[in-house]
Amino acid sequence: MATAGDDERTEELETLQSIYPELVLDEPFAAYVELLVAPTTPLSITFEPAQEVHKVAYLPPLRLEIDLPIEYPAEAPPNVKLSASPSWLPSETVDKLVKEAHSLWEEYSGGQMLFAYVSYLQEAAGTTFGLSELTLPDSLKDELLQYSKHMKRELFDKETFDCEVCLEPKKGSVCYRMERCNHVFCVQCLQDYLNNCIAEGDVNNVKCMSTDCGKLMPNGKKKERLLSPKELLQIPLSLQAVERYAKIKRKKKIEADPTIIYCPRSWCQGAMRTDKYPKIQDVREMDDSDSDAEEAVETILEEQQAPSGPEKRRVGTSGMDRLAVCEDCTLAFCKVCLASWHGDFVRCEPRDKNQLTEEDQASLNYIMRNTSPCPTCSVPCQKSFGCNHMTCFQCKSHFCYLCGAWLPPENPYGHFGNPKNKGCYNRLMDMVEGDMANGEAQFGGARGAEQIADFWEQEAMRIQNELNAQDS
Amino acid sequence: MSAGAKKRIMKEYGECMAETPAGMKINFDEQNMTKWEVLMDGPDGSVYAGGHFKLEIIFPNEYPFKPPVVSFRTKIYHPNVSNDDKGSMCLGLLRPDEWKPPNKVVAVLRLIQSLMVEPNIDDAIEPSIANEYKENRKEFEKNAKDWVKRYAK
Repeated sequence: MATAGDDERTEELETLQSIYPELVLDEPFAAYVELLVAPTTPLSITFEPAQEVHKVAYLPPLRLEIDLPIEYPAEAPPNVKLSASPSWLPSETVDKLVKEAHSLWEEYSGGQMLFAYVSYLQEAAGTTFGLSELTLPDSLKDELLQYSKHMKRELFDKETFDCEVCLEPKKGSVCYRMERCNHVFCVQCLQDYLNNCIAEGDVNNVKCMSTDCGKLMPNGKKKERLLSPKELLQIPLSLQAVERYAKIKRKKKIEADPTIIYCPRSWCQGAMRTDKYPKIQDVREMDDSDSDAEEAVETILEEQQAPSGPEKRRVGTSGMDRLAVCEDCTLAFCKVCLASWHGDFVRCEPRDKNQLTEEDQASLNYIMRNTSPCPTCSVPCQKSFGCNHMTCFQCKSHFCYLCGAWLPPENPYGHFGNPKNKGCYNRLMDMVEGDMANGEAQFGGARGAEQIADFWEQEAMRIQNELNAQDS
Repeated sequence: MSAGAKKRIMKEYGECMAETPAGMKINFDEQNMTKWEVLMDGPDGSVYAGGHFKLEIIFPNEYPFKPPVVSFRTKIYHPNVSNDDKGSMCLGLLRPDEWKPPNKVVAVLRLIQSLMVEPNIDDAIEPSIANEYKENRKEFEKNAKDWVKRYAK
């Protein structure tokens, strides 16, 4: 009987081992090897029952166990066993691959065929053994994805890259591959660059450093995108830097938005609360790279250009339009007059008259002409009928409808009986039928000043019209 | 300036020495490597042919994350070079928002050479010279050649 040492089978296995050092000889005529399964195009796997589809670049290796019977190679084919752990390979595929060993043995008509078989398997692994897609139970998902990620990293770590920034060759283990564009830089250069951008507040440059990523597309736009906070943490950048980045990025967007009003408290100046720019909760969860600051500005500009002429009041919006709440100090304030919130029915002096809609302006003019403000709470009051001693409907202050003076509650009528109060003396019952009934009544105080200004404005226009008529 | 930045400048200098772009000479002072002096010949066939132009390249501390600053130390009549004693340039690659860290000084020097052959009118720093280039090419060429004779010989 032949001993292991000079057996043809031993010789073949040893030759095979010198070609594949990973091959393990465990018994005299048996061996096993694990073959990498890295298809040229990632395999798409659907996980049941959630129907989640993932592209998997590396699959757990195919384990090939070879056992050579004494009749091998002349009289019998090798016994081969194929498996993968976890078992992701369909049994039909396994059977097909096992059969191939038999056909190869026949093809080699009893010659040594192990090398040919291993190369065949390796080649087939490049196309995932002819599988174009796979459906597997959810229970395998985590393990498979984990494995693929781990392999990717392991192979990447072993590679060498020329960092285009420091111009040095670097091991993959100190490099980072950009998620979106796959450019590789050394971590040191990436950190230096990105930290510098963030420190200077130059967040619009927090993107891939490659010159390819800055190229103009045929449509005139640049294809580069800002990096997501999540990716920055993977590079890794410090949590502190990434938080600063997210904060500045959000702030820039808010500042570019003309509809945002800021808190009137000088020590706060926070932006008003809005759903458009949610407050930052946890940067570790922020993987939005598409919220490019430049894009945001563009869309805002488009919105601005659209409506020219008087703004239309949106249908169905409540009078609460003026209410804003500061996102930092929670102060409730009025968007129009920037005073702390005065309720819906109070007139307020607008910051900028041009920002009012035509309708709002008209009602404001009406309010100015036909109401007198309460001296205590400024709520506009209109007398419907009766005397000129008023009680504010809101704060119960007593005041004079004619001049807006505050009146003592114990003797409100004295104001009208005192000759010193020239404008109001003996005029308690003027306009007894209510405001609007006749436009001739003379007012004092703020309303009177308004009236006089109105008068002179109209007078000036009348004179101008007369002059124009003369000229022509 | 960081050690990384110095290393990178040294590397770029090494590359320039190994393969100096035609028509240029680079003076480099090891004591002050952040300032390069480049002597550039006016490219053949351009209005600047026959002239020798001294350029200064200053590397910022944040190099290569920020672009180098380039200026003509020899006066030149050119739409893309400021017509004052600074002779500064700011276009294309040299603009902070267009600069990318993998860009190199050689690329900048090549850009300048190509601008001497054909100015970039849309990005002119001197509108009057650009206008002359567009409207009255003869006058422009005369002026440019005049300046070469006066300053760049």
